[in-house]
Amino acid sequence: MMDILLLFAWPFAALLVITAIHAYLGLHVVQREVIFVDLSLAQIAALGASIAVLAGLDLHGIGAYLCSLGFTLIGAAFFAFTRSDKSEVPQEAIIGIVYAVSAAAAIMIMDRLPEGAEHLKHIMVGNLLAVTPADVIKMTALYAVVGLLHWYWRASLLLISSDPEKARREGYNLRLWDFIFYGTFGLIVTVSVPIVGVLLVFSYLIVPGVAAVLFFDSLRPRLFFAWGLGALVSVIGMAVSFWLDSPTGATIVCTFGAVLGLLAASRSLLSRRAIKI
Amino acid sequence: MKSLLLGSSLLIASSPVFAGLRIVTTTEDLAALAREVGGKHVKVESIAKGYQDPHFVDAKPSYLLKLKRADLFIQVGLELESSWAPNLLRSARNKKIRPGARGFLDASSGCDVLDKNADADRSQGDVHPEGNPHYWLDPANGRIIAKNIAGRLSELDPDHTQDYKANLAAFEVSLKEKIAGWDKLAQAFKGSKVVTYHNSWPNFAKRFHLNVIDFVEPKPGIPASPSHIKALLERIRREKITLIFMEPYFDEKLPKKIASDTGANLLILPPSVGAAKGIKTYSDLFDHNLNLLSDALGKKQ
Repeated sequence: MMDILLLFAWPFAALLVITAIHAYLGLHVVQREVIFVDLSLAQIAALGASIAVLAGLDLHGIGAYLCSLGFTLIGAAFFAFTRSDKSEVPQEAIIGIVYAVSAAAAIMIMDRLPEGAEHLKHIMVGNLLAVTPADVIKMTALYAVVGLLHWYWRASLLLISSDPEKARREGYNLRLWDFIFYGTFGLIVTVSVPIVGVLLVFSYLIVPGVAAVLFFDSLRPRLFFAWGLGALVSVIGMAVSFWLDSPTGATIVCTFGAVLGLLAASRSLLSRRAIKI
Repeated sequence: MKSLLLGSSLLIASSPVFAGLRIVTTTEDLAALAREVGGKHVKVESIAKGYQDPHFVDAKPSYLLKLKRADLFIQVGLELESSWAPNLLRSARNKKIRPGARGFLDASSGCDVLDKNADADRSQGDVHPEGNPHYWLDPANGRIIAKNIAGRLSELDPDHTQDYKANLAAFEVSLKEKIAGWDKLAQAFKGSKVVTYHNSWPNFAKRFHLNVIDFVEPKPGIPASPSHIKALLERIRREKITLIFMEPYFDEKLPKKIASDTGANLLILPPSVGAAKGIKTYSDLFDHNLNLLSDALGKKQ
């Protein structure tokens, strides 16, 4: 039994590492109302990788990684530049357009590639059970660096996410700080998406954040709640996947949906009772 | 002494834990062949089901458990499973079946593999530089695969070498008879020109003298461009092609439209054991496909 549990130790460790950073970033994303920005940045990164392959670089080599990172940073700069409270166009629309165009461009490029189309497809899908110890170590190191940056600049980063007007009045360079946010965010997403896939990354980012906002008003309790929820769903999801023998990533995403549904229902019951009293 | 040995082996056999070799294969074709050769000494399970596209397999927890307990892992090779099998093998951390170990068998060795070093010609579709991985669709290769498996089983379990040899011989005899029947069926449509969806059939076409002139999909996962469809339609009309066939796991929409526009027949041809009802053994697969083809092609010509 022990050796069977050990088989799932690394995938589980990967989920915990992902929970730690994504649940936190998710609070920013929910507050900024840029829900699909992770999908968009991941797609831009995949586009960068496919251009690298078209140029003759090895998909798993450092050149392709740098190309993909470069594209992500360009995307981050673009999102930082287009955030404006006065504009008629919601930023979510721009994010959606960037997603669609970069996905379509990647399809056009893949069509020109003699090989590697299958691998590129896998950039977006990921495979949680096949995660390697090296993957987990790499993720942990990178996420720790980003986490430290966010902790060091926490006051500024939180202010520009929650109250950009106030930040502007206090003399912050909004575009620069937005770029730092989207840049670090893109760095995280480009690493997590190939490992666990777009669906899981999206769920870990958004669901804990949304659930936390339902129950708590300030950052600290929200963050702890989001972490706890992410870890709990990881455990339940892996157990259910094991029990039903269903694809693990998809099972965890559905578990997230079910748990969020239960939480929302219990919250509405609770608040109704509070009104009666 | 002999009775003591017999007694102890009976004891092992009656215990709930299976004492023979546990074999995990990537596809059901390999599993069917391993069952023929291994007989009662092996327990065989396949990861991909016959109705699934073996290029893409979503990992489930049970796959890791099966691989963890396996004594022998058999793959088609030639990059067919390269997007999932190596990672799963690594995650399962079973030294016995690690690539290079004796419990790891690439079934392709010695087989007649086509399209080796294919040019990056886009009409070839999915390019596997080591050759086309659908080589099990020639029964002559099936015999070589069975031989490869029997050889490895004898190495892993030398006590039963005689049984494996006898099973292999029996399989070869029945396959030889079957092949004669299939070749005869195929005579009726020798040289027919067909269009297939994916480039899964070069070995099958070579064996049964079909002429695959084009593919519906220019590339896996890439929708056919309007110019490709236009050229394909013109070619089907010009060369009076009456048959398009495709694997059950692709989308039928476009091939159906092409078939109805040109008056050609669209046939769903299973490329693997387990891909259609009633295909349980390796021979069933060819029985099924050749009967379908001779119904569709044989009568018209």
